[in-house]
Amino acid sequence: MQMSDTETKLRQTAKELFTDGRIDVLVGYTKGTLPLRSRPVFITNAEEVDKLVWNAYCSNNLAVYLPRFFTVQAQRKKDETPPPKVGIIAKGCDIRSVVGVIKEKQAPRENVVIVGVHCAGMVDLAKVELLMGGERVYRSDETPEGKLVVTTRLGKEQSIEKEQVMADACLDCQYPTPDGADIIIEGTSKKVNEELYKKVDDFEAMSAEERWQYFEQEISKCIRCYACRQACPNCYCKVCFADQTKPKWIGAGIELSDVMLYHIGRIFHQAGRCVECDACLRACPMNIDLRTFTRKLAKDVKELFDFTPGLSFDEPPPLCTFKDDDSQDFITEP
Amino acid sequence: MTTESSNPYTPSPVSIRKIFIENEAKDIKTFELVFCDEDDRQNFKFMCGQFAMLSVLGAGESPIGIASSPLDDDYLQFTVKQYPTGVVSSTLHSMEEGEKIGVRGPYGNSFPIDQMEGMNVVITAGGFAFTTLRSTIRYMLSEKNRSLFENITVIYGARSPGELIYKSELKEWEESSDIDMYVTVDKGDESWKGREGFVPTVLKEVAPSSENAVMLVCGPPIMLMFTMMPILELGFAPERIFTSLERRMTCGLGKCGRCNVGSKYVCKDGAVFAYEEIQKLPEPIF
Amino acid sequence: MKQAVIRRDALEDFIRSIGKDCMVYAPLREGNTVCLTEISSGGKIELAYANSKVPLKSLFFPQAETICTFEDGEVLNVHLPDEKAVVFGSRPCDARALRIVDKVFSEDITDPYYHARRNNTLIISLTCNDPSDTCFCTSLGGSPSGKEGSDILVFDLGEVLLFETVSEKGESFMETYSGSFQPAKKVQMKTKKDIASMAEKKVPAIDAEAVSERLEGSFDSPFWDEIHKTCLGCGVCTFLCPTCHCFAFDDNRVDSIGERIRLWDCCQYPAFTLEASGHNPRISSRERMRQRIMHKFSYYVKNFEEVACVGCGRCVENCPINLDLREIVTIIKEES
Repeated sequence: MQMSDTETKLRQTAKELFTDGRIDVLVGYTKGTLPLRSRPVFITNAEEVDKLVWNAYCSNNLAVYLPRFFTVQAQRKKDETPPPKVGIIAKGCDIRSVVGVIKEKQAPRENVVIVGVHCAGMVDLAKVELLMGGERVYRSDETPEGKLVVTTRLGKEQSIEKEQVMADACLDCQYPTPDGADIIIEGTSKKVNEELYKKVDDFEAMSAEERWQYFEQEISKCIRCYACRQACPNCYCKVCFADQTKPKWIGAGIELSDVMLYHIGRIFHQAGRCVECDACLRACPMNIDLRTFTRKLAKDVKELFDFTPGLSFDEPPPLCTFKDDDSQDFITEP
Repeated sequence: MTTESSNPYTPSPVSIRKIFIENEAKDIKTFELVFCDEDDRQNFKFMCGQFAMLSVLGAGESPIGIASSPLDDDYLQFTVKQYPTGVVSSTLHSMEEGEKIGVRGPYGNSFPIDQMEGMNVVITAGGFAFTTLRSTIRYMLSEKNRSLFENITVIYGARSPGELIYKSELKEWEESSDIDMYVTVDKGDESWKGREGFVPTVLKEVAPSSENAVMLVCGPPIMLMFTMMPILELGFAPERIFTSLERRMTCGLGKCGRCNVGSKYVCKDGAVFAYEEIQKLPEPIF
Repeated sequence: MKQAVIRRDALEDFIRSIGKDCMVYAPLREGNTVCLTEISSGGKIELAYANSKVPLKSLFFPQAETICTFEDGEVLNVHLPDEKAVVFGSRPCDARALRIVDKVFSEDITDPYYHARRNNTLIISLTCNDPSDTCFCTSLGGSPSGKEGSDILVFDLGEVLLFETVSEKGESFMETYSGSFQPAKKVQMKTKKDIASMAEKKVPAIDAEAVSERLEGSFDSPFWDEIHKTCLGCGVCTFLCPTCHCFAFDDNRVDSIGERIRLWDCCQYPAFTLEASGHNPRISSRERMRQRIMHKFSYYVKNFEEVACVGCGRCVENCPINLDLREIVTIIKEES
């Protein structure tokens, strides 16, 4: 497959960052071992830049890796090495995530170089599989026009437009341009879709009972693997409330009330912080519709506090600040 | 009470007969437990070095070394340190005499008592890891057993005088001619008239002979790290040095996988390991 | 070994009819996911699916199960599962994986909960005609038509399905339901052989030969420093692995009434080996990843003489960051 223009420029930029000594490690994407997959890679020198790729499968939010470069490990190592300078390849949503992680002091600003990439939208593997009757894609080839020709395990072949299978997060994306990055790779971003929060509106239009029923129906698929939490860059707590034993907030099993409380806790902890990147959704092995719930919260935060996370290093998070004109509805009209 | 005795996961009920506060900080307590069911008591046969799961219904379970001697027929003693983050230890410490908990076990292997017969026994211990060694000392010193062993030497230390456990027994043993007892503290206080010095240092001073001798050593990982060298320098062979390893455990039966180290399970193939075996285990032990 | 056939269009009714006598689990679809589900929940039984999302082990070693209940400090009656059940449509790799878990759960002391379910369940595995690109069972001693762990093997010949008994339990089942079957014709038995052998060739191969030997002495090898880096510690590989069996206990109570439950746990979670003192022998994902690989391909082998991986490919397919076990096995080969 021909390397895209962006990919060439990305590799060049990465090379320069290393040779100029601006970074010690770069977190980026490389070719996956499965069709329609790219995957995270850490490279540590200029010779490795050819591992980097940029394509429609670079969906992982790499900001999740940032905190681990800067944790203090209180073991017997007497390491006095200073923290590394970390470069990170980031598309619009990821940049907002990186901003959040830095703002919450999980990574020092001066040690992070954000390499921004224009994003045309990412392919949602689950959508491709659904289109192919729920079957895994065995093989995928990209035509020069950018169409995907996919073949399933059972030999079914189909030509697909990337737009048909673009991730919901990308279809609804309001910030596809890499604003806020330290370095921007030239390119073009997808157009912004003006129909904001449509599926959430549908969810909100349901009665309280119907909404609860939907939530229950989705959450009962959960196997408590915690992939959603581990994939989320904002879930960096050393001990998650779900794992705490003193006090014990929730049971550890699959009792529905415990599972629902875990998700409610996690999703509400994201209020004002979630950038709707859908890392949680993609990681979930049971395809739970986490998106409707995270987006509902994001919409509420936007309406109540006129705040979108990750657009500014300086704007304080809404749940840490109080303004006189904050809505008091929850007190006066519960 | 209805438990299936063939089910290894259901604990046997025991009642707390007595609680002894062992240290000045009051966070180490010895619990003396009696079985509620006579059959359970008779079936619980253990040897020094083994442990049991103390089961606090509603809180959880914890693997604790058995501190009483196998010859203490009608009760079991467990010395438990309370950790602020520990649900089981904290709940246990808040309990009173007369309350009931559960016991599962005995689990693990024991110190090589048979191998130790006819030999000199040297015991080195630090902090509150002394528990199963105390069981061993009591067993060896019993009238029934004393003659089976040659010289018994014990070097035991704690951070401070207040942190020494089994204080009344330590005194008894210091005065006994059946055992050479050396008690030390890292740092004494105004009233302390005994020895001061870290356990490895005192070990070097006492310099027990490794001739026809077995070394039993227990302590926190850091102490083991510093004590192993002097032990080896004294000439103890790796197959004659035994220690008790610790790992977080769940089942105690070698099934849940939590205490798996290399091809061994600390609950089943240990917790007592010869140093020779430890050298072959992949993960660093201390 | 006995063989009999049933028409494809009669299969669904037959499987449902067994449901009168016992619990029946079969592969049912929900969106992109197929799971071995209790059939009374409705839905069409899938025959051409790749593999169930959650492995067969979940029916014997469930995600959560009650070990005992208690009240006022007394342990109450412990109910060991005693329902008879039939699993139809699991894949041979999953059945083989059960035997790997069997060894741990029956060594020395038998796990009564697991064994009660094992003893009361008949396993009818559906052999694979079209293995997935992520399968690698043949490289680890398995096969798309492997017998190990199953009571009956089923071959999908198109118009008919051929049932072949493996165990005595399987033979007994076929006798009980002999009315629903016709004898297998020679030509059908030949088709079965052809399909099975074609499927075997379709399974991608990886070089896993002597991986345990190559792991010997590799504990401190630098490759462990690299392979763990992108791991999220999310637990998906472990939960979806048919041989993984680590568990935890959790006590739940309200006042003095409560229960102790057993839950799946994962060695990739940081708190897995975290001790109350705060010490953690496996402090980073490097140690945890190494433990996972070494346990499957080295430690388990030392105790039970076989690798604790059946090559089902679920970990490969479901890992959110595409960490590929097949790749790791190859790297181990090259680095040693």
